Amino acid sequence: MEQVLINGVVLSANYALIALGITLIFGILGILNFAHGQMFMIGGFMVYYVYAVFGLPYLLALATAAVVVGLIGVGFEVLFFRRVLRIAKREENSMLLAVGTALLLENIALFAFGEKQRGVPPLVGGVFRIGDAFLPTGRLLVVVLAIVLIAALLLFVQYTKPGRAMRALAQDREATLLMGVNVDRISALGFGIGAMLAGLAGGLLITISAVNAGIGTVTSIKAFIMIMVGGAGVVAGAILGAIVLGFAEAIGYALIPGSMTYLLIFVGLILFLIIRPQGIMGKPWG
Amino acid sequence: MPPQRRPAATAELSTLSPLGLTPARAVWIALLVLVALVAIPIALRNQPYFLNVLTNACALAFISLGVWVTFSIGRINIAQGAFAMIGGYTTAILSTRYGLSFWLCLPLSALLAAGIGALIGWPILRLRGVYFAMITLSLTEAVRLAFLNGGEFTQGATGIVNIPRPAGIDDAVAFYLLAVVLLLLGLLAVWRLSTSRIGWVFRSLRLNEELASSIGIDIAKYRVIAFAFSCAVGGAGGAFFAAFLQNIYPASYSVVDSINFMLYCFLGGLEFVLGPVVGAFLLVIGFEVLQGLQEYQSLMYGILMIAVILWLPNGILSLKLRSREASAVDPDVEPVAAPSDTAAGRTGG
Amino acid sequence: MSIRTRNIRSFAPTIAAAVLATASLPGPAGAQDVLKIGVLGVMSGPAASWGLVNKYCAEATAQMFNDQGGVDIGGEKYKIEIVSIDDKNDPKLAVSGAERLTQQEGIHYIIGPNVDTTAASVVPVVEKNGAINIPYAFSKQLYSPPRENSILGMIASYQAGPIIYKYLMDEKDVKSVAFLARNESDPLNQRDEGVAAAKELGLEIISSEDTYEPGTTDFFPVMSKVVSGNPDLIVLSGVAPSDAPLLIRTARELGYAGLLSTETAQDAKILSEVAGDTANGFISVGGASTPEIRSDYMEQFVKRYDQVAGEWNDEAGTKVYALEIILATLQKAGKEAIDDVDKFKAAIPDFSMKNPFLKKEQSLNYVGDKYFGQQRQIGVPMVVNEFQGGEFKTLFVGNVE
Repeated sequence: MEQVLINGVVLSANYALIALGITLIFGILGILNFAHGQMFMIGGFMVYYVYAVFGLPYLLALATAAVVVGLIGVGFEVLFFRRVLRIAKREENSMLLAVGTALLLENIALFAFGEKQRGVPPLVGGVFRIGDAFLPTGRLLVVVLAIVLIAALLLFVQYTKPGRAMRALAQDREATLLMGVNVDRISALGFGIGAMLAGLAGGLLITISAVNAGIGTVTSIKAFIMIMVGGAGVVAGAILGAIVLGFAEAIGYALIPGSMTYLLIFVGLILFLIIRPQGIMGKPWG
Repeated sequence: MPPQRRPAATAELSTLSPLGLTPARAVWIALLVLVALVAIPIALRNQPYFLNVLTNACALAFISLGVWVTFSIGRINIAQGAFAMIGGYTTAILSTRYGLSFWLCLPLSALLAAGIGALIGWPILRLRGVYFAMITLSLTEAVRLAFLNGGEFTQGATGIVNIPRPAGIDDAVAFYLLAVVLLLLGLLAVWRLSTSRIGWVFRSLRLNEELASSIGIDIAKYRVIAFAFSCAVGGAGGAFFAAFLQNIYPASYSVVDSINFMLYCFLGGLEFVLGPVVGAFLLVIGFEVLQGLQEYQSLMYGILMIAVILWLPNGILSLKLRSREASAVDPDVEPVAAPSDTAAGRTGG
Repeated sequence: MSIRTRNIRSFAPTIAAAVLATASLPGPAGAQDVLKIGVLGVMSGPAASWGLVNKYCAEATAQMFNDQGGVDIGGEKYKIEIVSIDDKNDPKLAVSGAERLTQQEGIHYIIGPNVDTTAASVVPVVEKNGAINIPYAFSKQLYSPPRENSILGMIASYQAGPIIYKYLMDEKDVKSVAFLARNESDPLNQRDEGVAAAKELGLEIISSEDTYEPGTTDFFPVMSKVVSGNPDLIVLSGVAPSDAPLLIRTARELGYAGLLSTETAQDAKILSEVAGDTANGFISVGGASTPEIRSDYMEQFVKRYDQVAGEWNDEAGTKVYALEIILATLQKAGKEAIDDVDKFKAAIPDFSMKNPFLKKEQSLNYVGDKYFGQQRQIGVPMVVNEFQGGEFKTLFVGNVE
């Protein structure tokens, strides 16, 4: 029983980082970042190369992951999305562009990193025992780091000028424009930070799981589930969604055979969305 | 004003105009159909590989027509893979376990897919934009998992194999003709739909649902009709593939396939009925031709998607044709001539 | 219409024409005969290593032969050309890939596909076009009559399982076993076969229904369940080489002290990278790659594989045999067999060669009578490995027949 709870906490903390990134991008730009899973994957690979292959300190590796993936995010916004959002008459265009970017990243990654699965040795050894349950120190560290990063993001969004501008953009685009905010700059920054969060999540998770060039799609789907449940574009919603998915997985795997878990999660999601389409905390869609 | 004698040309127009065709267009279409049904099978009768490529393209284009119809009511449908799966399994189970002929399985698959589509569609079509897209994406995954966990009934991961070929269809040419006929029927249906009153209702739904509802259109009913049609086409296409490939697995249709159907519509042009056909043919045949670059195929797919969206956001057909809609209702486009003599401006029956 | 859009429209057909033209250019004048061999497998996505290893092995072997001027069949030297197609584990793509190889390229010998679903889907194509393929899928139907055009390229799990379990019962006092399978057709079949074999040997089955989705990277939840049953042995059925290290590490992190085994080939490098010392004692099946039993020829192959692929992958230990044995059988059957697979099939029953990859004298033939009723399996030696200190050590070498 305790093991299930601990599994739930670990999963939720990990997933929250992923969800926050994608919800930030959605909130500011109205774009669902299909490439989120691929960015997560690239973050993991960055840490693999810097930490495991070149032997540099882990925090440096994590920073590299953040910067590289963040720059990819900024690049996408400036080169692709900005133009499409301006000229497109139909909203499908931005979504298909997002799908295209996902395909692009996935294939570039396959070329650059190869097909093998990569992992890194755990950051710290040792296992904690909590009642009947096991909590490897490495996982605890990931949970702690994740929480620190989430807190940092929340503070940034709440108290810094760019952060406030992002919240303003998410709430009311026109009014923000009228306030003289440089929307282009904030959009690029927002996409960059959202992507960076995905990269950080990947960089953290590779220490306790593994990455290969193909995990992008699965991760993106999990991100979608989380924001659909919690409410897209709302930070609290992302965290809620992560908690729901994390615990659903932990409980599900403990009680029922593997793939049934996700079938039930999907069915539950569809039923939930029929009743409450905007998610737990989402704004009513328009 | 005294009634004027109608010149001969307009008399011709009056037979074709209900279908929204000019004489020139009608001739083109007849020619294409002739080529597809006669010239190609004769030319390629000893090249089953190429025929299969074309068959594949036709069937994929057919399924994409459904996605096109959901685009026409303003929804992004990423669930077509699920309905192709449902149709495919229906045909697989009915023909392998109960010995039903394919010709019976095909309509049954379409009907079942439509029924399920209507049932699920009724509540979820209230959603729009990204939310509808995401829920349909979840649907594709959920259906895949459902078939994976279907136990004895669906044979789980092993899938169903040795699906019998349809009676009378046993070589590449026959399958090709079947696919072409299906595609032509589908095109006819969609064309008819889009030029009929229902088509205009769909268009009004896409442009402004609230407004349509306020003038008394039962938007819920029409949305479901469109979605059910889309699912029927998906189911029929799935049935075709089940008989063509003679197998079906939960792995047969995934999120990637649903996205591909969307891509074909988009590449061809969402304003044009022929859009999905052009998109499907271009991509399927294009990648056969570029087989030498097989390693880079997926990469090029991604680059292509981005390039098209950036520089050809209205699809390939928008380069040559002005869409009927662009000249008629799109507020961004200046109304051209008064819609009197041009059949393009005339609505169908 | 702008210049740019005009260019885009004329661009595509020109590119297509250029590619077609270069593809159909004849080779240099006086070129020798070419023997084309196809590789069809999964080369992208999470299972990419399975198909890619097939491809790299074939290319490495082909290069080694071509360096000597080609392969000598019936007195003539043939340059070997490998044509690979990625089926992405999709049965539809496997079918179109097989059609392309057999009809467009005129190939009669195909290495692959890698899993049950894709291998089953290409059977009609292979039979209709008179080809032979070497799948790495275990489904018995593929190799039993009336099918006779497929040859299993490696040891099947249901062959290795019973032998491994018996060894562990005798040597390591194992009495109870739990199974964890990847949720896909092949691994589930392997799991079922494993359970049957374990029952027959009298082992207690603690749990056998646990599965994980392909693409899972966090095994904590599912492994918690398996470990909680406290089995002496956990069998990881059909796990991909990419999953194994993490599964093992997670089990150890959960305090599991028993044995872990699998009946598929694994990769020592990623085992040591991701699992490190926690993987010590992990039992798997190899082909010919453990250093102490390798021949010089195998060492050369390893070097060449390294050049082709960028780094060695232990999975290649089982997959190295396919092209070698095709070529050797063709040599025996004569050059008509290049286009006529019936001649190839006729040469199978009493075919025998010295296993080129093992240091000691051992013959390599076609096996499979016991399982399929006909010889439709490459007699790859069954080398059971144990992972120790970063590499595989041979536990014992068994035999399928």
